[in-house]
Amino acid sequence: MQTGVNTPHAVPEVVVETRNLTKIYRDFWGRQKVRALKALDLTIYKGEIFGLLGPNGSGKTTTMKLLLGLLFPTEGQAIVLGKDATDVSKNERIGYLPEETYLYRFLTGEETLDFFGRLFNMPAAVRRQRTAELLELVGLTGARRRQVREYSKGMARRLGLAQALINDPDLILLDEPTTGLDPIGTRAMKDLILRLKDQGKTIIMCSHLLADVQDVCDRIGILYQGELKELGRVDALLKVRDVTEIRFSGGDGALVDDVKQVIERRNGKIHFIGNPTTTLEELFLQIIRESEAHPGRRVRGGISGDGR
Amino acid sequence: MVVENPLPPFLIWFAGALAIWLGVVAAVSLVGFFLGWLAVALERGPREAVARNWQMICQAFQDFVRYISGSRISGLAYLAIKESIRRRVIAVFVVFLVLLMFAGWHIDPASREPAVLYLNFVLSATTYLMLLLALFIASFSLPTDIRNRTIHTVVTKPVRASEILLGRLSGFALVATVILIGMAIVSFFFVTLGLNHRHTLTAENLQSVTEGGGETGTLTGLTSSVFGHRHRVYVDVGGQGRVEVARGHYHSLRVVGSGPDARYEIGPPEGFLLARVPIYGKLEFRDRDGLDADKGLNVGDEWTYRGYIQGASPAALIWTFEGMSPRRFPEGLPLELTLGVFRTHKGNIEKPVLGSLAVRNPRTGLYVETEIFESREFAEVPEIKRLFVPRKIVNPPSVQIIQRKKNTPEGIVLSPPPEEVRPELTQKREFDLYEDLVDNGRLEVWIRCIEPGQYFGAAQPDLYIRARDGSFVINLLKACYGIWLVTIIVLAYGITASTFLSAPVAMVATIGVLVGGLFRDFVIKLALGQTYGGGPFESLYRLVTQENVMSELEPGLGTLLLKMADVIARGFLFAVASILPPLGQFGWANWVAHGFDIPWEHVLIRTLQTFAFAIPVIVAGYFFFKSREIAE
Repeated sequence: MQTGVNTPHAVPEVVVETRNLTKIYRDFWGRQKVRALKALDLTIYKGEIFGLLGPNGSGKTTTMKLLLGLLFPTEGQAIVLGKDATDVSKNERIGYLPEETYLYRFLTGEETLDFFGRLFNMPAAVRRQRTAELLELVGLTGARRRQVREYSKGMARRLGLAQALINDPDLILLDEPTTGLDPIGTRAMKDLILRLKDQGKTIIMCSHLLADVQDVCDRIGILYQGELKELGRVDALLKVRDVTEIRFSGGDGALVDDVKQVIERRNGKIHFIGNPTTTLEELFLQIIRESEAHPGRRVRGGISGDGR
Repeated sequence: MVVENPLPPFLIWFAGALAIWLGVVAAVSLVGFFLGWLAVALERGPREAVARNWQMICQAFQDFVRYISGSRISGLAYLAIKESIRRRVIAVFVVFLVLLMFAGWHIDPASREPAVLYLNFVLSATTYLMLLLALFIASFSLPTDIRNRTIHTVVTKPVRASEILLGRLSGFALVATVILIGMAIVSFFFVTLGLNHRHTLTAENLQSVTEGGGETGTLTGLTSSVFGHRHRVYVDVGGQGRVEVARGHYHSLRVVGSGPDARYEIGPPEGFLLARVPIYGKLEFRDRDGLDADKGLNVGDEWTYRGYIQGASPAALIWTFEGMSPRRFPEGLPLELTLGVFRTHKGNIEKPVLGSLAVRNPRTGLYVETEIFESREFAEVPEIKRLFVPRKIVNPPSVQIIQRKKNTPEGIVLSPPPEEVRPELTQKREFDLYEDLVDNGRLEVWIRCIEPGQYFGAAQPDLYIRARDGSFVINLLKACYGIWLVTIIVLAYGITASTFLSAPVAMVATIGVLVGGLFRDFVIKLALGQTYGGGPFESLYRLVTQENVMSELEPGLGTLLLKMADVIARGFLFAVASILPPLGQFGWANWVAHGFDIPWEHVLIRTLQTFAFAIPVIVAGYFFFKSREIAE
């Protein structure tokens, strides 16, 4: 049974909990170099997509590494899936996509997934099946016999995602998941993240690309200089409470004038009236879709269709 | 062959070695626990440090015993193999082939001991190349993974540190095994083809052997010269040919036809590649007064390996053999002897010195001399003399009862005691080796120098019964196995060093272990103060001041400080030497080169030693790896 955060009355299951989690980097002599994370208290629930945001050096990746046990906390504790973050056995239920694709370049795509499958003690037949499924999922079936060194950055990234999913994990940590992907890949990644959430998986991602975070995350935490500055649901945090947006289609200029008069009559302030714009991502994907549907034909000059 | 430090029987060795091993492991563990505690205590306080250390030890036990997974280890081993292939380790094999190519030009098959030369070369080349290979792959693997961060993707899977280390070790061991097998096969063919040669013999080369003015019908002559030597050949009346040994080998001879039309076909060399299985006895000395002595005389040689006895005196070299029975040696005892000869008056230095071989019954004291032989002081290669004590000894040159005399605090004890001496035993002219001279499986073999003013010297391994010949191929494989064991030790140290050091530093550290291991025996002697010239600091002082190592230093504060510094340095050296593997003892090249079978007991002991070093080293590597942050 899924006990996601959206279920109103169920008690949400805690997947990750940090208490006073602190990381101080020291030099060879033990002197403090930098305080990368300061007393982070964080709780992440099952079934949610949690985004960690922040500028470079804010402590996002340090938090991620502390949760994975790649770093040891200077103070405090991180509990992941009910176990201490340094306990290797928690990794049975974790998938991790690092910031860069840290894969063995001399292995082929197929060998890579088979190797990581072995690390989960998966039987050979299961490994074969899972490898085929994941390569299909990330669109690398045709390149399965090629060495990773021959992969483009996007392909390597997709293979990295496949290895993160090899064990069908309950908790997935994605460090900059859309870095290096083209817009189609980015959209596919975001769609996949949402599908994984629908399957009841918990996802923690950190990204510089705020739009990506906004698109997929249920909750976010904003870190700055190692401190948690903001934490909450995305929609609640982004809501501009004293501005009302009306969108409609149909009608003519007179209707627009009527609406303006009504607002002014009631002492409202009009900030903007005009046609909304789509996002560049939407435009790009629409062009690609139309190009695939009608090969050889120029799609259109722009959203207005006049080519200017 | 010189065996300076013979291994004790397995059970005796095992009991002593196990006690030392447990002691060293316990001491190192305690030191490790204390250092670990100190590191955590500085950050989190002493109580938590104890708790964390204890938790880590329990975790280690589980990671090595409970959670260890063959599938994960095989996966990581596979990765190590692929990595090795990517690193072009096969280049080592190519280098080996190139070395052999050049060696083929330079090794002289006409030398006095070509087999020793060939075998020493191939086994040394194999050893050094394998060690280099182990050094590189072990030291660079893990640090490269950490630097490239590929390790992040691995350690975030349910992989234990123990599996990461064991996976690497087994993968690299497999790579090393394959390369070593390739080298062994190439070495075998290189040696056999390099030593192969054929002599020719024609009827014109043969002359009749004359005896007492008349022809015996036997023909004799010399073969053609190949690789700087010829063989004397005998062909008897029946047409049976025999080729004498020269340069450590002989050939088969087939005579086709007879008379002047006879053709002589000489086969390939035989006896070059041997694996003699010796049975060693226990050596005791008898001095010139006829008293048993712990050791022989020193004739001024710095190398005290051999003890000497004076010629034309009661002095003797006495080897006691156990377990002699007609079932083991029905025809008699085939002995091989290497003697040191020291002449006090040189004269014609080429002239051999005479000696005698005798056997004695340890209970009755019956002493039967069986052979007089010659031995030379200056031989181009150590001369192995083949002697034989027949089952039936007829008309021996000398028969007597000899009582051994032992000096004890109670006085001189005779063996046999006078009341048990039976002079009638000497009346016989024909003796059966087992009935008359072996007592309860025990037999004494006596070697004496006959000539006055000359000396014979020997060490225990210098006389042995050549029980049988083992397979040379198996012996070569055993030597390669010895190389493999050293490779495993180096891999273990290299992998462990790479868990906490960067690749180049890990390599230097492993080289340090390797060099220290090769000179471990010396380091221990130095630590125990058994070397001349004092400890490290005193030696350094003597070096700088060119002080003689034998002379005492001037008493004073400086000398006192030097001696005190040496006490500390010696303690440190002893501690370091205790964790160094005795790599110098793993080399079996000499055994194979000199044609001696490597005893299975040695193989077992070295195998256990390998595990005894590799396992704690890998466990130490586990703790280093567990206690470091992978992401930095």
